[in-house]
Amino acid sequence: MRRRFLEALGVAALIIALVLVLKFARAPVSAQAGQPGTAAKAGPAPTTPWGEPDLQGIWTRDSDEPLQRPAKYGSKATFTDEERAAFDKQIAEIVGREASEERRQRGTEQDVGGAYNAAVFTSHLRTGRRTSMIVDPPDGRIPAVTPEEQKKRDEMREYSLALMQATDECKKKLPACAGGKYGPPSPRRAETPPSYVFNAAVGGGGGAINRSDGPEDRGHGERCMAAALPDFGGFRRIVQSRDQVSILYDVGQGQGWIRAIPITDAPHVPKNVRLWWGDSRARWDGNALVVDVTNFSPKSNFQGAHENLHLLERWERVDSETIRYTVTIEDPTVWTKRWTVTHDLKKQKDEDNRIYAEPRCHEGNHGMAGLLIGARQQERAFAMGKGPNPATMCLGACGGFAGGFADEGGDANPLR
Amino acid sequence: MQSGTRGWTGVIVAIVVAAGIGCQSGGRIAGDAARTADGKPDFSGIWQANNEAYWDLQAHSARAGMVTQPGVYSYEYAQVAAAPVVALGAAAGVPASLGVVEGDGEIPYKPEAAAMRKENGQHWIDRDPELKCYLPGTPRAMYMPYPFQIVQGGKQIQMAFAFSNASRTIHFDKVTGPPVDTYMGHSVARWEGDALVVDVTDFNGRNWLDRAGNFHSDKLHLVERYTLQTPDVIRYEVTIEDPDVFTRPWRISMPIYRRMEPHMQLLEYRCVEFAEEFLWGNLRKQPLVKHWEGDTMIVDITRKVPPGDTLYEWYRR
Repeated sequence: MRRRFLEALGVAALIIALVLVLKFARAPVSAQAGQPGTAAKAGPAPTTPWGEPDLQGIWTRDSDEPLQRPAKYGSKATFTDEERAAFDKQIAEIVGREASEERRQRGTEQDVGGAYNAAVFTSHLRTGRRTSMIVDPPDGRIPAVTPEEQKKRDEMREYSLALMQATDECKKKLPACAGGKYGPPSPRRAETPPSYVFNAAVGGGGGAINRSDGPEDRGHGERCMAAALPDFGGFRRIVQSRDQVSILYDVGQGQGWIRAIPITDAPHVPKNVRLWWGDSRARWDGNALVVDVTNFSPKSNFQGAHENLHLLERWERVDSETIRYTVTIEDPTVWTKRWTVTHDLKKQKDEDNRIYAEPRCHEGNHGMAGLLIGARQQERAFAMGKGPNPATMCLGACGGFAGGFADEGGDANPLR
Repeated sequence: MQSGTRGWTGVIVAIVVAAGIGCQSGGRIAGDAARTADGKPDFSGIWQANNEAYWDLQAHSARAGMVTQPGVYSYEYAQVAAAPVVALGAAAGVPASLGVVEGDGEIPYKPEAAAMRKENGQHWIDRDPELKCYLPGTPRAMYMPYPFQIVQGGKQIQMAFAFSNASRTIHFDKVTGPPVDTYMGHSVARWEGDALVVDVTDFNGRNWLDRAGNFHSDKLHLVERYTLQTPDVIRYEVTIEDPDVFTRPWRISMPIYRRMEPHMQLLEYRCVEFAEEFLWGNLRKQPLVKHWEGDTMIVDITRKVPPGDTLYEWYRR
């Protein structure tokens, strides 16, 4: 048994090593393609032998553009080349130095939290030209949420802060505790969260509430269920036949998924059928596959939208090297108006096959067992008078570093 | 002659309906399989095996439960459903099958592997990766009781499986293989006339072949052969080779049927979440299953009978 576990760890290490190799191997590609005016010579958009736009191949973004325009840029839509170079330098420095001295103090909770510094797992592409992927509204920002949604978010934040209030994060007034106060362990720790625990950084950069009573408390990411639509990162492999387009998403550390989109004018599935990635219906429009997506599950999560999310995607083969992906996102229960995101996907070499084609996060999820075992041991130790009250401890959900950046300050991501 | 006229109307309606169905499935001519632009058989569509191979590749009798235990009569053939499934009544059993193993129906295990196969069967619940919602592996994914979709493109075929959101990419062109061993294998295809022949390698050896405990190692090598027996039936044949487990290559074969329902589409069975209780239930602060001894789940069956629904009352209704 022990040997099998060690073997599994070996496999996990190998996978991590592989991810690293892939990430580093990708860098030169992005470096070349990210330069203005040096785009590969693009031919016309190809069509399939049966005369439809051909979307097939392996695709990925070749530059990093923020989803939302940082407020400080106002109506500025593009960066200059000098600005882009400066960002690249600044980001490389932050990612390189990882955590600040204070946060790296050995044995502190912040040190342990920062040990899972996602810098090495995150593909840092060159900064792109645009100040936001959001093209509508014109300010490049996600529209305001509805009052009902704001209330929901406030309730969740309040709950999340209550679960953290006895920790050092709040005692030291660290960013993760912003809006909260230090106090004794809250009786709310025994409550069901006011809404399902998703990936949203409700308690800071770590991504979940400060509790590990069961797997649900840990959020989608740690449960290997983070893949969501729409998605603006990672790789895609598209294969199509006459009336189907399939897309393999290589996203989020082995949390990828396969999507089969029917090209049909048939109505959506019945309302009571709810799906993690929604129900897709596609048609061709010029050089683009237009996909209408509804019937999301209440447990699915995209930026706080769940079962009422409605997407209208457009996968347009602009030329031989490019698919322009545009998605209009609508949920009147969450946002006061619809919004639109667009970015280009660049064709990768088929023969290199550089896509982590087998998403198997769940198969290697020893982390979840470890987290839950750890939490139970802390409780037992406390009950026996041999350890601190678990309510005063941060279970990796109290902020720190996300994607190699600090929550705020000089080490925060300058593009967020 | 009223009835005669009505008869003709019926025939005409049948022809119109048949023509309509033909159009829906891509303009296929009855009896003639759809072909791709380059003249190859087109396997695109949603398919599902309809047999008992997912229980056991080999011929077997029906049995009382997915898990059984000795009954009051201690004969091997008098086993009864065991605690984990006893509350499910007749839905807990396993249907009989003539098996899908070609030739004498035997799987040529090496002696030590045969012992492992037997042990696997006895510890099905503890060992079968399917119950954990792990990627099902190949060929197992092809005959699980869930549909899968084939999208046949130019340079690749992509398969999407409802179970666990598994997928396969089958390459016609030479591509770099996977840098590590895989659950679903690395698939490279060629055409032999109208047969699609797929060579599958690079397995990690962590999968089973069915729920009976039939298994393989990371030396597994498959040669799959897909032929369209009719436009809506794939003849699926696999040669299974694994020098660490079997004494010689052996073959399974079965038909795989097109799902013919109008507007049939693949619906996800994202079971990661469904398996959490099974995997980590004992690590909850407040376990839902109340009785654990270490990693061992002790299932105490509670079958509450609502008032008026006792067996006796039910018969008197």
